[in-house]
Amino acid sequence: MSSLSPVTGYEIPRNSLAWMLFAQVAVIAPHLVRLPWWIIMVCFACGFWRVMVYQGRWSYPPRWVKVCFVFSGLIGIPLGYSKIYALEPAIALLVIAFVLKLLEMHHKRDAYIVILLAYFVAITEFLFFQSIPYTLYMFATVVMITTALIGLHQTKSHMKPLQTFRTAVVLLAQSIPLMLVLFVLFPRIAPLWSVPLQTGVAKTGVTDVMSPGDISSLAQSDALAFTATFETDPPPYGALYWRGLVLSEFDGKSWSQAPDLRRSIWRQGEAPPEWSNNLSYIGKSYNYSIIMEPNQQSWLFSLAMPVLPANRDYVILRDFRLAAVKPVRQRIRYALRSSLEYRIDPQLTNFYRYRYTRIPAQSNPQSQSLAKKMYREASSPQGYINDVLRMYHFEEFVYTLKPPLLGGESIDEFLLQSRRGFCEHFAGSFVFLMRAAGIPARVVLGYQGGEYNPSGKYVAVRQFDAHAWAEVWLEDKGWVRFDPTSAVAPERVERGLEAAVAGENTFLEGSPLSIFRYRQLLWLTELRLQLGSIAYYWDSWVVGYTPDRQMSLLSKYFDRMNRQRLGSIMLAVFFTVLGLLAVFILRKRSRAVVAPLDAEFLKFCRLMQKRGCARKTGEGPFDYGARLALYTPELATEIDSVVSEYVRLNYSCAGNNSAQPNIKSLRQMVRALKIRALTTRV
Amino acid sequence: MTDKKTALDAQTIAPHGIDKQALDKQSLDRQSLDRQSLDRQSLDRQSLDKQAMPTIKQGFWRSKRFNIWLKKRVPPAKVVTLGQRNIFILPTGQGLYFVVLIFFMMLAGINYQNSLIFALAFLLISLFIVSILHTFRNLSGLTIQAGQAGPVFSGQDAAFTVTLSRNGARTYESIVLGWHADMMQGADLLDNTEDQARLYVTTGQRGWFNPGRLLIQTNYPVGLFRAWSWVDLDMSVLVYPGPVAGGDIPVSLVAVNEGEALLKSGTDDFHGLRQHQAGDSLRHIAWKSYARTDELLTKEFNSFVDRTVWLDWDHFTAMDPEARLSRLCFLVVQLSQMTDDYGLRIPGILIQPANNPEHKNKVLKALALFGLDPDE
Repeated sequence: MSSLSPVTGYEIPRNSLAWMLFAQVAVIAPHLVRLPWWIIMVCFACGFWRVMVYQGRWSYPPRWVKVCFVFSGLIGIPLGYSKIYALEPAIALLVIAFVLKLLEMHHKRDAYIVILLAYFVAITEFLFFQSIPYTLYMFATVVMITTALIGLHQTKSHMKPLQTFRTAVVLLAQSIPLMLVLFVLFPRIAPLWSVPLQTGVAKTGVTDVMSPGDISSLAQSDALAFTATFETDPPPYGALYWRGLVLSEFDGKSWSQAPDLRRSIWRQGEAPPEWSNNLSYIGKSYNYSIIMEPNQQSWLFSLAMPVLPANRDYVILRDFRLAAVKPVRQRIRYALRSSLEYRIDPQLTNFYRYRYTRIPAQSNPQSQSLAKKMYREASSPQGYINDVLRMYHFEEFVYTLKPPLLGGESIDEFLLQSRRGFCEHFAGSFVFLMRAAGIPARVVLGYQGGEYNPSGKYVAVRQFDAHAWAEVWLEDKGWVRFDPTSAVAPERVERGLEAAVAGENTFLEGSPLSIFRYRQLLWLTELRLQLGSIAYYWDSWVVGYTPDRQMSLLSKYFDRMNRQRLGSIMLAVFFTVLGLLAVFILRKRSRAVVAPLDAEFLKFCRLMQKRGCARKTGEGPFDYGARLALYTPELATEIDSVVSEYVRLNYSCAGNNSAQPNIKSLRQMVRALKIRALTTRV
Repeated sequence: MTDKKTALDAQTIAPHGIDKQALDKQSLDRQSLDRQSLDRQSLDRQSLDKQAMPTIKQGFWRSKRFNIWLKKRVPPAKVVTLGQRNIFILPTGQGLYFVVLIFFMMLAGINYQNSLIFALAFLLISLFIVSILHTFRNLSGLTIQAGQAGPVFSGQDAAFTVTLSRNGARTYESIVLGWHADMMQGADLLDNTEDQARLYVTTGQRGWFNPGRLLIQTNYPVGLFRAWSWVDLDMSVLVYPGPVAGGDIPVSLVAVNEGEALLKSGTDDFHGLRQHQAGDSLRHIAWKSYARTDELLTKEFNSFVDRTVWLDWDHFTAMDPEARLSRLCFLVVQLSQMTDDYGLRIPGILIQPANNPEHKNKVLKALALFGLDPDE
């Protein structure tokens, strides 16, 4: 009769409540960094109050306190966020509702609402982070929430929280096969309507304005910019120029994009603009796809020169660079085909000739006169370019991550005095010298190189691979790439930044813990590459499992794949797996039930068996005990106490089937015997 | 909430004791009784959580056609082992809310094209489906055995004993069973292989009372589905008429002792005083002593001849049969606490006087089944 109790039905079992509070903390914790401080305060206040109620020290708050909490939350949202219709305020509202419900949680029904909200708050975290550790963490919180849900439906006498947790783990583990079926086969569809995305996230990566010092500060970061997977072997390292931005305006200090050049776009499915004829591809092409980390910018990176992508979200602009229609706020994946040899704009109209040679007349006069002098001495534009590159190579120019700060006439200072610079200094001064001599030229920003991961067969490009180089227009050849950095530090282009600055030990100087600083440790590099490839597969196959990807994957295995067919395949596989699960879950367990008391005695028997004296079939406990006492006299007292206690307990509850004897004493005796047996081992 | 609970406790603690208030107000009008219990049910439905659901809801589950079908599918038996044949399972209200939650998660997943949100939504869908199996498993294989129930007076709660047992290693948790929403019992079969539940059900008219189908249900582990069964354990309990106070123990009753007819007024020899009890004759009250001590005492007399009292149908005139039975029942209860022998004489039945518990049960059974088919 012990476990029987009238069902009251509405009280929340404490077992469940404790798990609920844990789960709630776990679910809200990752959001704290994005919430305004007073919402955090409200969260803590509510949580603290609820814990006090749980411990029975305080009672539920009076109405006016709740009203205060609600108002501080509601006023806090418009004050804390600049935009109301955005993702963060919505989540803040959700979190506030979630924590306030804590203080109103009297009945099971309230607790159930809290649990549903907790599940929903858990998914919102995935809008911000999708890495493997985060996913594992969020799934752990889901296990906790489910534990609370199970606890809610247990009788009040059930007071074993860890057992409840185990049930939750089992339940979710059994759900995983079905989840995988649905994940792979559930027909994914395109967004139904546009939704607010996160705001206030810092833009990362290269920016559309370049002044001296910008890229060298970017080079302090080892964050991933994008990964590129080639269908065949990737091009050699030195050819990996990931073209991103074209900067064609110079104001005397910094380079920026020409806004008018962005207006004319070339897009799949629309009439190609006139200038699209100025492009011709030569030679071998590479097929590859890029998974780009969100950088909140609208430019995309590609090996020059990409073929117009089929996806209408990606377009080509007038300066033949790839761009996204919308800023990249989530990780995206795009497939490309690029030809490394190409010709663009073989003829240039006077308008563009003027645009690409324009420099402020008064800026950097010494450099201007230097350019004019060198151009007079050179016989042709090509000769002049070679002379300039030779100047970088033979004169005392230094490639460094720590260039000195430059004043107003930055190019004059760099070329004639400091002569120490990073790629942006070399690219900027080179283009300036070209323009000063009347040769059309522009700065190109992007990344150069990247690390090839042999196990994942992809190239990972990180922020420290950011690079700037130049494009110079030559008659009939069109725009030709020149990298002045390679004239100073050829190893930068051939082997990457780390090799180029090895002499001055400045690689990732600001982040001593970065794993990339320890590339000389081979095992560490190996581990990093392995982790990197796991993360890459995660990003490309799990996070990046989009409708397109699903269709292309499943088309490999099934003919004539369409959504209806996919749906029926899904249902077939789903019910097959469900059937197997049902057989597994509902199987009859014929294993005999061993009462805890007998289990304890059997433990004792095994212990003695190990000592060399097994119990005979049908031998009663007293006979066995007597035989044991003769066999191991040193344990006689312990054996006797175990046997008599077992017999006593066994008969004290005889005839009363439902009563459970208290086996604690027996357990202690068996344990004592075990210890004694260990210490008196013969 | 607390009021409700204490009321419930009081009911469960003293199911056999005679509720004085209930006795006074007892009415055998069947209609009003039905109305009372109906009112009570609807009240419970409002105040209690959905968890403790009323046993049999309105509508389809009550329809005659369903019950005929149910009788075929789950026939009455003293021992029932639950299995595919007799377990029903449907989502609960909570389960429907859960589906709504999944729907919103899917919307978020679609609109944000977020695979991990999809993954979590799919996990919850799978949990929903898998919980069907687990909830079913939590009833399937459970054996329910009917136990005995002691007779009660009409309107009281009858206590039935039901034994739950498991065979095999499968454990059962949060099993809820009962006939009435506010008298549901919870049971766990975790370490123990057997458990007994005492279930209470409010009785109606006198006679054999069948509590109907016993609801046994569970929504463990996640409450998204409710698995239940209506088992007919073929249980019945004898319901005595509700006692109604009916004045003095008749003095003019005729005692018959071996053919000798004597008027026994029990005034032969004064024996002593005892506390006055309701029902004691006013003539036996020790008025002198009352005047002295303000204490109401009854004079006890010892008869040399055993006193016998006949409870006669005709003693109550101008009453309908049920009212007579109730009053006779009251007198039986009274007399069984005294030393006098009593016999019963109602149309068609004659029970010789005696005074012992078996006799009392025999007399009360005769009253309970008067005019009814005893095999019913």
